[in-house]
Amino acid sequence: MQGNAARIPVNDRQTSEPWRVGILFSRTGFMSVIEETQLRGTLIAIDEINDDGGINGRPVETVIYDPGSDVRSYGQYAKRLMVEDGVSTIFGCYTSSSRKAVLPVVERLDGLLWYPTLYEGFEFSPNVIYSGATPNQNSVQLCKMLMERFGSRFYFVGSEYIYPRESNRVMRELVRSSGGTVVGERYLRLEADRSEFTPIIRDIKRVQPDVIFSTVVGESTTFLYQAYHDLGLNPKSVPIASLTTTEAEIRAMGFDVGEGHYTAASYFQNVETEKNGNFVDRYHQRYGDDEPTNMCLEASYFQVKLFARTLEETNSLETKLLRNSVMGAEFDAPQGCVSINPLWGHADVWTRIGKANRQGQFDIVFQSPAAVKADPYLVGYGRCMENF
Amino acid sequence: MDNRGTEGHRAGHSAGMGEHKGHVSPMTDLNIAVIVERDENGESLIRELQRQRAGVRHIWPLPAQLPLQYDAIFCVLSSDLPQRIPWVPGEPSSALVLVDDGKGPLNLDLIHNCAGHGMLHYPATSRMVQSVLMLAREGFQYERRLRGRIEKLDESLRTMRLVERAKALLVRLKNISEEEAYSFLRRQAMEKRVTIGAVAATVIDSYDLLS
Repeated sequence: MQGNAARIPVNDRQTSEPWRVGILFSRTGFMSVIEETQLRGTLIAIDEINDDGGINGRPVETVIYDPGSDVRSYGQYAKRLMVEDGVSTIFGCYTSSSRKAVLPVVERLDGLLWYPTLYEGFEFSPNVIYSGATPNQNSVQLCKMLMERFGSRFYFVGSEYIYPRESNRVMRELVRSSGGTVVGERYLRLEADRSEFTPIIRDIKRVQPDVIFSTVVGESTTFLYQAYHDLGLNPKSVPIASLTTTEAEIRAMGFDVGEGHYTAASYFQNVETEKNGNFVDRYHQRYGDDEPTNMCLEASYFQVKLFARTLEETNSLETKLLRNSVMGAEFDAPQGCVSINPLWGHADVWTRIGKANRQGQFDIVFQSPAAVKADPYLVGYGRCMENF
Repeated sequence: MDNRGTEGHRAGHSAGMGEHKGHVSPMTDLNIAVIVERDENGESLIRELQRQRAGVRHIWPLPAQLPLQYDAIFCVLSSDLPQRIPWVPGEPSSALVLVDDGKGPLNLDLIHNCAGHGMLHYPATSRMVQSVLMLAREGFQYERRLRGRIEKLDESLRTMRLVERAKALLVRLKNISEEEAYSFLRRQAMEKRVTIGAVAATVIDSYDLLS
């Protein structure tokens, strides 16, 4: 008996070895404004888990890399996490290009990427859990509201990479199929500086659209809104509408600059749920009262908490077990009750539309009655969105 | 690339072993890098590949980064090999056969992390070399085809949406049936020798332009 004991694998419940997970968010470079908040959301959740005694008695330990807003580095660091650090669960990525750089690595080595960002949809991977919104969870309602309130002539401004091009493809489809028109479409490089936005705002003044739909992300978001402000346009008549301008970007551009513009998101700091009240309080305690929460931070937070609950059940970090266990799981997140859609591995999240106010917060002008089912390929929206 | 070793050994030098029976070896004209120590086992591996009429280049010592331009690479397994592989797992540039000299303990994690396509153990027989090379190449190419298929499917999904939208536009603007709209798109694609997706995109774009 005793001779054999050494050969029996150690029961996981009896070890206090930490659970190691990887984290990939940029703290430097042009994506750092938003990714820094995603890192915070991730770390707050992990601290809470560890303060509660870890998962099945074992703490969560992080291996963190800063890809510096460089797309290739995301792939390289994902490899390093899996190969050198022996990690298979990774939380990270904001841009679609960074996610696509990590994708082949987690798919080949069978890791699990938890991706806490809204994106353009039309993707599925057995090695990714998507916890942000896809177009049917934000664009559809946003387009409808804008057409009703402001008119049907849309002007698109975006950063030059996958997400804006693809989002605009979907948005164009929505606008067109409800009788609207796209009267302008401009793209700027991700690293665009302040001066590059002035000609675009001038063009907007000339074309006179009813709505500006922005898919500008990162640091240059500030420049777009500031250029708009400086050239005297009025959000009451031609607002900027966005899927990516959160409280974090509004804070960076200035509350007066952001006021009156619209964003569609699954979460705003102003969401009135009990869970969110506590979440915002804890965040303020840790980072200061003037640090706002935002949708990407919230998704980063709830996905880690959901991961922890899943790991408690599986007691194993094996990708297949984690994934199977999280499919269909419901979770009471700050935004409200969400679930992981078992068909797609995408989260069913809430649809909300907010209008930025003078305090840098969003007044919620539309809210779905419940979480909206994820439909990343827009299967249920007709091939020409007739039924939206 | 800085550590390029000895001269390349091109195919043909040692041909004519009489085993081909009129059948061309599947390894003929493959460019293969062999990154192993040139000991007795290494020599015999190189000789076997040459005998199969492959273009063989021997590289030693182990370079900081494996080269990219080969059809297949035989590389000795070392604990830091994953860091020397220039591609990320899942997007390999060559078929990779790991060579185990049998000296250290077996490390399955290391083998997993190299994400290779085959494994050769010393001492390697001719049969082993031939079969592992064939399976590695097949696996590599199959993966590549599957990736291509996924890309194609993604693209088709998008095209279908375009075609549906163009159809809806035509039905509305030209007051024709759905079937007529599809056949209009197909006919245009045939006459202009472009894809139906491209025609659909043009229809939608020009409508955007006119409205």
